[in-house]
Amino acid sequence: MGDPEPWPGTTAFLDGTQRSEVVAYCGSAPILVATIRAAVLEREDRRLKAMILRERFLCVGRRVALDAAGDALAGLDRVEIDDSQTAHPVRDLVQAGHAIDEARGALEREAGLAYRMQRDGWLVVDGSLAEFPAAGTDQRMVAVSKSHSTLPFDGEELERYLRLPVGHRSSIFTPASRRFVPVRAWALRLWHWEGRDLLHGLVRVEVAPGVGTTERADELSRWILAERAPVSSPDKRWDRLLYGVRRVEEFLRARD
Amino acid sequence: MPPTTPLIGRVVATELKPSTPHQFYFWTREDAAVGIGAIVRVEHGERTVYAVVTDGFAYADLSSPLYAVIGADGDPTHEALEPTLRTEVRLYSAAVLRQSPEEPLQPVPLGAVHLASDGDVELALRMDTYRNAARPTAIPVGVYAAGGHDAPVYLDCDFLLGPEAAHLNITGVSGLATKTSAVEFLLSSIFQTFPAHRGSVAAVCFNVKGPDLCFLDQPCGLTDADHALYARLGLAAEPFANVRYFAPHKADGVNLNTLRTHEALQANTEPLVWGLREVLDYAEVVMNRDDIDAKADAFIDFLGDRVVGKDFKDESLRGKPFRVETFADLEEFFRGIFDFMEAMGRGGEVWRTHHIATIRKVRNRLSNISTRAKGLVVDDGVANDLPWTKFADRAVYVVDVAGIDPLAQDLVFARVVSKLREHLERRDLGVDHVVVFVDELNKYAPADGPDTYVRKMLLDLAERGRYLGLVLFSAQQFRSQVQRRVVGNAGTGIYGRMDMDELATPGYATISPSTKIKLATLPKGELMIRHPHFTQPIFVRFPRPAVLSGREGVEKYPPAAELPFANAVARQLRQMDRALSTDECLDLVAGRAERDVRRALAATRRERPADVKAYFKAILGRRVDGEVARPRITIPPIVSSGDPYA
Repeated sequence: MGDPEPWPGTTAFLDGTQRSEVVAYCGSAPILVATIRAAVLEREDRRLKAMILRERFLCVGRRVALDAAGDALAGLDRVEIDDSQTAHPVRDLVQAGHAIDEARGALEREAGLAYRMQRDGWLVVDGSLAEFPAAGTDQRMVAVSKSHSTLPFDGEELERYLRLPVGHRSSIFTPASRRFVPVRAWALRLWHWEGRDLLHGLVRVEVAPGVGTTERADELSRWILAERAPVSSPDKRWDRLLYGVRRVEEFLRARD
Repeated sequence: MPPTTPLIGRVVATELKPSTPHQFYFWTREDAAVGIGAIVRVEHGERTVYAVVTDGFAYADLSSPLYAVIGADGDPTHEALEPTLRTEVRLYSAAVLRQSPEEPLQPVPLGAVHLASDGDVELALRMDTYRNAARPTAIPVGVYAAGGHDAPVYLDCDFLLGPEAAHLNITGVSGLATKTSAVEFLLSSIFQTFPAHRGSVAAVCFNVKGPDLCFLDQPCGLTDADHALYARLGLAAEPFANVRYFAPHKADGVNLNTLRTHEALQANTEPLVWGLREVLDYAEVVMNRDDIDAKADAFIDFLGDRVVGKDFKDESLRGKPFRVETFADLEEFFRGIFDFMEAMGRGGEVWRTHHIATIRKVRNRLSNISTRAKGLVVDDGVANDLPWTKFADRAVYVVDVAGIDPLAQDLVFARVVSKLREHLERRDLGVDHVVVFVDELNKYAPADGPDTYVRKMLLDLAERGRYLGLVLFSAQQFRSQVQRRVVGNAGTGIYGRMDMDELATPGYATISPSTKIKLATLPKGELMIRHPHFTQPIFVRFPRPAVLSGREGVEKYPPAAELPFANAVARQLRQMDRALSTDECLDLVAGRAERDVRRALAATRRERPADVKAYFKAILGRRVDGEVARPRITIPPIVSSGDPYA
């Protein structure tokens, strides 16, 4: 795979944030208001600068609950959750959470698209690329996921996957069950895991199928390895969180 | 509406670092042209706040240095390869100079921060109140510069020369031309801009070391930057037009004890010569603590009131009256007393209620003056003094005491300042305000040590001088070593480059650490100023004074070689009358007693007659030529045979 290499040319980082709170109940049905934001920060001469910012203010709940609130929710975008079942404060909250997640994902896609309309540099996405419809054809988009809730292998292969030494990547694979587009992926170990947990410093990299060649995977891995510094401290996920992505998060949180 | 200047930052306030009515924090871009001492303007709605930057902080989003090490794999060279620069904050603290509106006084709002414009600087430092008044009282002191922008800074002469506040004190390490240069420039500025409606002003400068103040009337070369500063301040870059120098003689009584003895500079250089009358009132200056008692005081008063300058008759001493005008006369008077008391034998310890021991002590101390201050105090000469009652507006009188004994220096300080005070009280000095410049204040008014006459005098000047128009401009290397009340009474304070040890003393506790660092590294020509109108100290640049520095002056006008007595007299006579030849002068004094020549020279100098030679000769008196006694012609004895019976 080779030694870390700085990413050539202009690189941008995309991420989104969400914040929500219950503001009222209509009977037992909760009404939430949420703020979702997405932004792209572009790096030029080692400095990050905000290029795209999208934000929406939502009210989330059952239709009847939102209707009952009337003008109190004026100015907020309505997001209705499934009301086929009877209202349940916990279940409805979980549903609302999913709805907000989806809305934030959509806003991220919108921000990514907006960036791509303006610039053609590499765009590093926090999370999975599979939810980006354009990713199937975008040759300069790469996702770096910190999450390993779904693992692609099992048995001996999984053990090999989880015990990757630092500076090594797994073979390229095609993750299953992607909603919009197929992607190619591989795991990459950014930091030594020995003495820590197996997932320490382990990220999953996703690219469009056309980019998923061995040479390209090596090249991208070297670039991503170079992104280990600066370390994203004091974030607890510093071993997997790229500094550029963290800056996008900080940029968005500063607006709360 | 405030003038538009670039927005450079925004006020931030947190629970731990809140804004107050007198202090706040703001952040800027990394490359913002702001630094310690910069004046900024905060705008928020109807409120405008002016402030000066007092401290700066920078930090990154790094929770521990350890993560920097981890990120660079322990190799500092790797850090330069990091693809993204860490976020760094530039945070500044600023001290409020002025708020508008001033009431109600509120914490500084979270507004936009701009660099101050000319108009802002004027408002921030409250200079509008005395610069744009119907009768302006502004004196340019330097240029405030920040972010490629500069603005003139003015002092209020009512608070510099009185009567509201007065006095100026300068602190700074030696060798950076800060103290002397600053005073020279400021005096020039005062002379050029002191408003006519505030009266007239002159300066008396004591030159206490080397040639520091010896060339105030000589122009120097200035750089373009200096000329630009003068133009910005609206001042002419010219040396002082009216300067008179006074220096004591050397012990020979004719060569001047100064480095300003070059032939070309003699026109306005005069000897400072005092006689008994001039120093008797200041006898206390030369007495040490043990000497000062009521008995000695009483006897000195007796001499001053009854003897000196009067016909004093005491049959017990001698038949004819004593006329004591000089130290020589005084010595004769004392001899008369001692002769009388010795003749009395037992019981002869007291003369006119004064004990012989007291008389002897006073005699010793007074005769000590003429010994230790020889050249300044003459036994028998004619005094040549500062032009009391004839001080000229915008004139500088330099008293060069650099080469004389410390005791004589004390005597000069005491008498000159006391005389200034006397004449200002009587309003007959010739000017309304006098600036007295004293360098090395820590020597003359030390924080520790005996309470000398000079220290008491300087304290009195600092505490009460402003009511009279007598203003003290003082300088020293270490402010902490000067009597606190003397510097404490200085309404205006100027600080040049400072020593860090000095800055660590309690007197500087109110200055922020960054301001202290700036003071410790201040370049030549920059100063920090405190002034009653300025809520916070301000940094300014000032041009070099348009006069030759001491070192340059000595190079351009090297001091004349010390001449033999007769030649020195000839030179002085020729200065008064260029038509006289050196040989003529030498002939005049040949064979004459030095004492007589000194007396005649002093009289001629004082009188400045049209015919110098005739006047000098007349005072000198008729020459009594010596003759070789011829052997007396006598009648030779009659030669005889030798036999008396023949």
